[in-house]
Parts: sequence; structure tokens; C-alpha cells
Amino acid sequence: MPEPTYPSPFTSRRGLLLGTAAVSAGTLLAGCTSNDSSDDEPAANDQPAAEDKPGKQVTIGFAGPQADHGWLNAINDNAKNRAKKYSDVTLEITEGSNDTAQQIGQIETLINKKVDVLVVLPADGKALTQVGLKAMRAGIPVVNLDRIFNTPQAYRCWIGGDNYGMGLNAGHYIGEKLKGKSGARVIELAGLDNLELTKQRTQGFDDALKNYPNIRKVARQAAEFTVESGQAKMAQLLQAQSKFDALWNHDDDQGVGALRAIEQAGRDDFLMVGGAGALSAFQAIKRDDGVLKATVLYPPTMAASAIDLARALGQAKGVSGLAEYEIPASLTLYSAVVDKENIDQYMSTGFK
Amino acid sequence: MTQPVSPPRDSADKVPSTNEAPAWRSLVFRADVRTLSLLGVLAALIVIGGITKPDEFLDTRNLQLVLTQASVIGVVTVGMTFVITSGGIDLSVGAIVALASVWATTVATQEYGFAGILFTAVLVGVGCGLVNGLLIAYGGMVPFIATLAMLASARGLALQITDGRTQIVSVDGILDLGERDSYVLGVPPLVMVFAVVTIIGWLVLNRTTFGRRTVAVGGNAEAARLAGIDVRRQRLYLYLLSGLCCGIAAFLLIILSGSGQNTNGNLYELDAIAAAIIGGTLLSGGRGTITGSVLGVLIFTTITNIFALNNLQSDVQQIAKGAIIVAAVLVQRRTASTT
Amino acid sequence: MAPQPPLLSMSGITKSFPGVRALDGVDLEVQAGEVHCLLGQNGAGKSTLIKVLAGAHQPDTGAIRWRGEDVTLRSPIAAMRLGIATIYQELDLVEHLSVAENVHLGHEPTAAGFVVRGRAARASTAALLKRLGHPEIEPARLVGELSAAQQQIVSMARALSHDVRLIVMDEPSAALDPDEVDNLFRIVGDLTAEGVAVVYISHRLEEIRRIGDRVTVLKDGRAVAVGLPAKSTPTREVVALMTGRNVEYVFPDRPASAPGGTPVLEVEGLAREGEFEALDLRVRPGEIVGLAGLVGSGRSEILETIYGARKPTAGQVRVDGHALRPGSVRAAVRAGLGLAPEERKAQALLMLESVTRNVSVSSMSRFSRAGWIDRGAERGAARSATRELSLRPDNPDVPVRTLSGGNQQKAVLARWLLRGCRVLLLDEPTRGVDVGARAELYAVVRRLADEGLAVLLVSSEVPEVLGLADRVLVLREGRVVHTAPARDLDEHRVLDLVMEGSPAS
Repeated sequence: MPEPTYPSPFTSRRGLLLGTAAVSAGTLLAGCTSNDSSDDEPAANDQPAAEDKPGKQVTIGFAGPQADHGWLNAINDNAKNRAKKYSDVTLEITEGSNDTAQQIGQIETLINKKVDVLVVLPADGKALTQVGLKAMRAGIPVVNLDRIFNTPQAYRCWIGGDNYGMGLNAGHYIGEKLKGKSGARVIELAGLDNLELTKQRTQGFDDALKNYPNIRKVARQAAEFTVESGQAKMAQLLQAQSKFDALWNHDDDQGVGALRAIEQAGRDDFLMVGGAGALSAFQAIKRDDGVLKATVLYPPTMAASAIDLARALGQAKGVSGLAEYEIPASLTLYSAVVDKENIDQYMSTGFK
Repeated sequence: MTQPVSPPRDSADKVPSTNEAPAWRSLVFRADVRTLSLLGVLAALIVIGGITKPDEFLDTRNLQLVLTQASVIGVVTVGMTFVITSGGIDLSVGAIVALASVWATTVATQEYGFAGILFTAVLVGVGCGLVNGLLIAYGGMVPFIATLAMLASARGLALQITDGRTQIVSVDGILDLGERDSYVLGVPPLVMVFAVVTIIGWLVLNRTTFGRRTVAVGGNAEAARLAGIDVRRQRLYLYLLSGLCCGIAAFLLIILSGSGQNTNGNLYELDAIAAAIIGGTLLSGGRGTITGSVLGVLIFTTITNIFALNNLQSDVQQIAKGAIIVAAVLVQRRTASTT
Repeated sequence: MAPQPPLLSMSGITKSFPGVRALDGVDLEVQAGEVHCLLGQNGAGKSTLIKVLAGAHQPDTGAIRWRGEDVTLRSPIAAMRLGIATIYQELDLVEHLSVAENVHLGHEPTAAGFVVRGRAARASTAALLKRLGHPEIEPARLVGELSAAQQQIVSMARALSHDVRLIVMDEPSAALDPDEVDNLFRIVGDLTAEGVAVVYISHRLEEIRRIGDRVTVLKDGRAVAVGLPAKSTPTREVVALMTGRNVEYVFPDRPASAPGGTPVLEVEGLAREGEFEALDLRVRPGEIVGLAGLVGSGRSEILETIYGARKPTAGQVRVDGHALRPGSVRAAVRAGLGLAPEERKAQALLMLESVTRNVSVSSMSRFSRAGWIDRGAERGAARSATRELSLRPDNPDVPVRTLSGGNQQKAVLARWLLRGCRVLLLDEPTRGVDVGARAELYAVVRRLADEGLAVLLVSSEVPEVLGLADRVLVLREGRVVHTAPARDLDEHRVLDLVMEGSPAS
């Protein structure tokens, strides 16, 4: 029997666990407690998900893709650092791999080692469904991180970001900023067009802009989540659009290149919103000396939360702050907009 | 690939003495036609760009933009042209650019400032080229495999150095070179480097013994060996040269993007090979043209530019790019075979 | 009552390529069961004609009648369906497939339409090979492992695997030894006895006299004689028709006195395991030394080893008394050696390049400073070298691939002349060279020798070695069996030595 964890005071910013899209523009989730972590490492809120008292020893297996991008690197760091904070958690982390077959092998090894809980960020969610099912059948609960399996049978709990919500919140933020400006022009620098998440982000962005009849999206180009492609595509966009009022860039990594192109073109006549939440973007927002005024989160702290959930599952606990006995089956993170107003609160979560 | 259909040996062997001149003149003319048809394609693109986006396309800033964007891949393509002319292939160029750009932008390297970054980028490029060259020339490895192995290891090492992080450059001297203030008479420094590399490449290929040996090795390696050319040393130098070009390109990319990242130079190998082949360099070796390669690069960059200016999305861009490659090669074949 | 229509009759065939009229109204008539020989110099249009017949080229004008009916040969498959098979000079076999797979390529015996019945294919292949007198060739072996002669047999088996009525053979004897040629002729005899017609192309007039029934002679894309009786037409007349001149092999005079002086090239105990053993030879300036022997006697291997292109297992090569680094072409070239290899196109020429660049390739440092080529000086030097050899056309800018075989050979010689080489190694110098152009080439070689060059000559044509060389070394199975001045030997004697291994006297 899971140990009931209520009533426990809802004192943390665990609101992250509750949120989903469809929140009106500009609304930011204010933390109930301040986060004064001065840690240099990308860090999640220190408040644990389950009761903080050390419980039964839990071994968590963690399998993620190759960390060839700042965000994925932050995922690994978040998971590791979170696990270190618990004296009752042992983390078995595999070498990251983008190769589906290799990742399946790694997860099967973890199953054979009989870890208590699995946290899996698949290189390809659909392709790894079978091994998720296998783990579940073997009695190992699976926390599916971000890239979702084909069927809910393959995981006990899914936690991930909200791509549609990211676009929606970026659109609403820009919409509010440009309120009252007639004939406003907006452009979009998207991520890799091959990915479904890029389509979802664009869809959300477009849907949000529909609420603002004064705004028209005049151009969109897709980069490849790399600095190089961000610079190249942004340079072209700037040449194509001699005048526009706002830009949404899907990804802060490619945003480094985009900002470079903007600097090279000597342009500063518009407002830019980023995506994901890289440290360099946070710093630029805080300095407030350029076009970048805000960024929409796709928080890598979800990996820390996944460890919390895994530990709770392993110790048969629920989530504090909720009335439920059980861990929810699905948690969609809120894509908060970070701008100068709330930047300090998020600074520590920025990834390099 | 684009070699014109030659008459069968029996009839080509003995050209009646009265029409000797037309036989060779048509060959020389054909070489010109190849370049002319590339210029034709480029002109057609410029017309399309000018019609669809007259204000944005026909603009000095846009010309500067297109040439700047062509510089990095252009320098790589010059090196690739030499390698392909010699009958080889270098699949590792993109990975070498990535490795050189991240090695040159680590915190430690950045402490040495401008010179440190330049020196490291070039040295890493040359070093990788040296390994490729030794494996191929003296290790007897097939170029395809040796450079494929280099591709994998250089990308891996680049990832290890960066941990997937973007390394932002904070050396002012480097950053300044990418800004408008550094343009000399309207010419961006990157474009100047590209131009210099192109001119040197053209001279080396067409006017020096090194170029001759390259063509000889590519045209007939056995004949070159029996003529007394050190084929192995030539091959070593060629991959070294390609690596050097990658190092220079990495430095340009650092200037352009103000950073180093392990994902840099993604698929450069394919872009460079495609540009060289469209330009008229034979994939089987024995004939190479720097002019053609540079025109090939400019055609690709101009296509990308026109598409972006017209706000066409990447799916359409990719389809059209493939179609234009086919069209360009077909036009060349047609014009080459009807003269 | 009406005479049987000929098996094949081609009339007024014209075919042009850009800049060249390869065939200009050619007629050819072939009867069932005859051996019809097609003669002509390189460039006369033979290859184009047989490609038209094989369906590989479409004629511009002209008619083809097959057993009295007009036909159009749109593709090689169409020709094959009629029963026309072609064995090309450059064999078109797939090296990595087995003999049986090659023989049945494109018409494999199958079960249910797609499952290849390997056993059936091997059995029928074995039967074909037996019929061809080569039962020792294993149908399951890879073609790449076979000798050139065996590959030719496989090629022939492939032709016979179809229901064939006409076989075209393009220089089938070029790569064969005498006993293999005998076997070839036996096969041709068997085929014609069965009523199959053979179109036989060869340079060797004596072969044509042996097996031919009728001869058609092509010159400059025209048939200058159609259906001459092969056995009774005088050789002189045939040569005259082919060349338009009355020329046979004409060798230049030897110098009155034998060249003296110290040898420039000395080979001592040179050996390569499995190819040739303990070879000693000396060549003096002004002297032409010939190596005679059968295919497989190690002739070409010896030249390439002296030149450093192959590494010897024992022995030494000295030039002017200085030993060369073994296995280094560059050392040999620096010491003054030059090789005109057997396969000019594959081993010597840069086919896409001009004559100038082909000539200058070994002497580039002479026209360059710090790697920078003085193209004017290069072109001038190449031009004077090619002029000295009367290379035609007299234009160093033409691509070398447009030259005739004889002029391509001159381009190779000009390369070494320009380099200032002292020892010239000639491997089959007249292979692929027209009969008419050979005499000129012989004269060039002799003149170079008279000017002080040492020449080492290898040829499979015994008359060529005997006519051109001063001294002859006879080889058998990689071993020198006899050395004598050329004037003391004749062709029969050499052939005896080559076959028997012991001097007849």
C-alpha cells in the first residue's frame, strides 16, 4: 500500500507538476517560495517531490540519448545532481546513445540488473516502446521522459515538456507586447523541420497569434538547432524582411547564431523571444542590452523531477501537495515565459 | 559523370588528317561550354531572384550576404576539388571543420586570443588531413573508408571536447571580423579569404607542378607512377591540403557564428562534393576545375538565398535543390554533347 | 531454283560520330557456314561495323537483311534473339561471378521464373566448355581467377549458350599462345561445319589465310574489297588494300659495326619468385637487345622489374655501374631509365590530357621554378621532342586520346626523349599500331639507338624482335635459354627454342 502523503502543505513551486497549456498570455507562474540556489550547476528547485525523509533504498536506472546538444547535456546533469541529493537513491546511468538498437540494449541490461525504477529519455520514443513494455511486464515501473512511447502501457508515468504550449506562450507574450500596434509584423525562426515538435511549436505560435488581429506573421524559416544554421537562416531572414516588430526563435542554441546574425546586420528595431532556456539567453535577458527580451522554457529540470517521481514510485509514495495517493500517469510541464521581471528566479536552471 | 560520350575507339583513333583541328578545338570549346552553362544557370537564378524579390535580392547587402555565406563551404570545396581531381574523396571535411572550430574555441585556447584561435584551427585541420593522408597514401586504405573513419572520430572528439555545449567566443578581434565595420570597400573579410583561397587554388591546380601531378594521379595513377611521379607523397599532400582548407573554413565559421559547436559543418562533405561535381570536376578523377567548383558553391548559396527571401520552407527548398542539381548536370551534358 | 539468300547482308551502312564519319556506305555479305574475315587498320571502321551488327550502335543509313528479310537491330538483345553473338576484344565478363554465372548472365535457367537453377546452369556450362575443348575449366570457379585465354573460352561459351547462327570474333587470337590458337581454329571449324557463320577480325594475315573463306577489307570507313577469296588473294594485294601502300614489315638497317663501349645497363642475377629467375643481361649505348618468348615467359615482368615497378626477390640492376634501389621507379627514372609499357592507355598515357602534358609529365622540374610551370617553355620543348619523332598531327595541344596508336606510342617515346633518358625499355612497342605505321616506329627506335640510347625490347612477334634487335635473348618459362646476334637466328629457330628449350644445333 502506498503511504498517503497528504495532507502536506503546498509550499513549493511544484506547481510545475500541475501546469499545462491554455493559460493566458504573459501569465507567469510565480513561485511561492524564493529560490536562492547560488549553485553554478543547472539546478532544479531543491524541494523534493516526495517526503524528504530518507526511505527505503531505491536503485534508479537512467537511459538517455547522446548529449550532443546543450539541452540534452542539461538533462543528464539535472538527473545526476538530483539523485546525489538523496541518500536513499542509487543512480545507474548509461552512456548516452542516439542509436535505437544500442539504447534498447542498454535498457535491457538495466532490466536484467533488476533496478527498482527506470527513467528513459528515448532517442526515438516510438522505436523504444517495446523495451518500455518489457520493463513494465518485468515489474519495473518506467518513468518516460519527454519523448513519449507509443502506448501508455509502456510507462507508469510520463513527464515532459509542452511544445504546443511553448509556441502558444511565445505567441501570447509577443501579442501582449505588440498590443495596440497596428499592422505589426512577426517572423519565426523554427527548429529542425523534420521533427514533429517543431510543427507543434509553430502550431501553438500561430494559434496564439490568431488572438491578435493586428499582428501578421510575415516569414518563417527553419534552422537545425545549431549555431551555424541559426546564423545562416537568420541572416537571410533579416535580408528578406527589412522591417518587422518581433521574432520568435524556437531554440536558444541556434539563437546564439541568430543573435550573431542580428548583430552583424546591425539591427535592433524589434523584440526577440527565445526558446528552451539556455544560460546565455538568460544572461542576455538580464543584461537587457539587446533584442532578446524573453525566452520560453522547455525546462531540462524535468529530468530532476523524473528522478523525484522514480524515487517516489520506488518507495511507493505519492506527490506531496496533491490529494492523490498515487503518482499521476502523466505530467505536462508548463512552458513559462522568462523575461527581465522573473529572470533571477530561473537563472540557476539555465543550461550551458 | 559529365564526360561527353566519346566516339568508339576505332573511329576516334584515326581522325582523317584534314579535320584534326576541329577535333581538339571542340574539346577546348567544350570545357568553355561547361563553365558557360554554369554561368547561365547562375544568371537564370539571378533573374529569378530579381523578379521575385527585386528590392531584397538586388541589393549590395544581399550580395555581401550570399558571398559571406558561400565563403566557409567555398574554402572547403576548393580543397575537396583537389582531392576529387586526384581520384580520391574526403568525407571527413565537415567533421574536421567541427573539430577545428571547437578545439579553437575552448576556454584554454581563447586565452591565447586571436592568434591562438587561428593557429589552433589551422593546426587541427592540417593534423586531421595528415592522418587521412598517411592512412591513405602509406597505410593503403581506401579514401572512402579512411575519411569515413576520420568523420566518425573527429565528430566524436568534437563532442567530447564540448560536451554538447556551445562554446561562445569572447575574443573581440575575432568577433569584429564578422561585423560590418571591418568590411574593406564593401568586401567582408570572409569573402576576401574565400577569394584568396580560390585564386591560389586555381593557380596551384593550373600553373604548378603540384597541380599537374594531382591531375596525373587522378587521370591514371599507374601511368603517373611509371612516369616517375611519387604518387603516394602526392596523395599525402592532397589530404593535407584538404585538411588545411577545413582549418581555414573552421576559422571563418568561428568568425561568422561567434562560437564553436560540435554540430558545425553538418553535411559539408556532401555539399562540397556536389558543388565540385556540378562544377565539372570528374568524380573518377583526372579533371578538376576550381572555377567550376566555386560557381557550383555560388549556385547553391544563391538558391538558398532566393528561397529564404521568398519565404519558402525547407521541404520545398530540399526538393528544388535536388531538382536543380539534376537540371544543372543535364544542361551541361546536353550542351557538351551538341557542340 | 532461286539461290539461297545470304545469311546476312548489310548494305550502304553509314555511321557518323561528332567530327568523324566512321562508316561511309559499307556493304558486307555473309553466307551460312563460312568464315568471313574482316580486315582493316585501326580506325578503318571495323569496330563500328561489328557494333552495328551487334545492335550496340544504330546506323544513320543503310539496310540490314537477315535471311532475306529486312531487320532493325535496335539493341544488343534484338541481335541476340536473331542469333547474332559477338565476342569483343576487350572481354566483357564479370570477374566476381562464376564461369557458369557469366555464361548464363541474362538468361539464367530458372524455376518458377525467378529461382536460378545453379546446378542446371553448371551442367550446361560444363557441356559447352567440353565442346570448346576446355573441359578443365570448372563452371563454379570465379572468372577473375582464370587466365586470359581461359576467359576467352568462357566468352565463347557465353556466345554459344544462345541459339547462335552468326558469331563475330574481334581479334580472338590476340591474347593466345600458338597451341591455343590451334584450338580456336578447331572450334571455328566445328562451328562452320554445323552451318554457323563466323565473322573473324584479325591483324594477322597468316591466320586469315589458314581459316578464312572470304575477306572484306575496310579502309577509312569504306569497304575497298568485298568477298575476296581468302586463300588465293596475294598478301601483298591485301596489305596494299588495307594501307593504300605497298608496305610490309620494313626494318631499318643495322649499323655496320656492332656498338662497343661499356654497357650502360647491367642486370645481374635478377629474379622474381614464380616469374623469372637469375637473369643476366647487358645493354650498351647504341644497342638494341630483344627478349623473345611466349606469353607467360616473364617478358613484361622482367622489364617492369628492371624499371623498379616490381620488386625483385634477388639480383641487382646497375646503370653506369651504380646499383639502383630495388623496387623504386623514381630511382630508375632518375638514373636514366624510361619505360614504354605494354598497355599504353592503362600504364602510360593520361588520356584526358594534351600531348604536351603527356610528354612533359616526367620532366616537369625542367620547366618550373619553385613549382611554377613555364608553360611556354614546356610546350616548346614538348613540341620539339614530338617533331623529332614526326608525331602527327604536329600540334602539341591536341588531346592524346585523339591520336592513332602509333602516334600515342611516339608521345610516350617523346616523354623519355625529353627527359634525356639513356636506357629505353620497350614492351610490345607496336601493339595496336597499324601495319603502315610500324615501319616508321621501327625507324624511330633505330635512330634513337644510333644517337646513343640503349634499348631493351620485348615483343611477342618474333619477326619484330629479329628484325629490330641487334642481339636476342630467348626466354622460356622465366629463364634465358639462348643468346645470339639477331642475324644468326630465324623465326623457326626461335620458335623451336621457345618450345623445346634447347638450341636446335
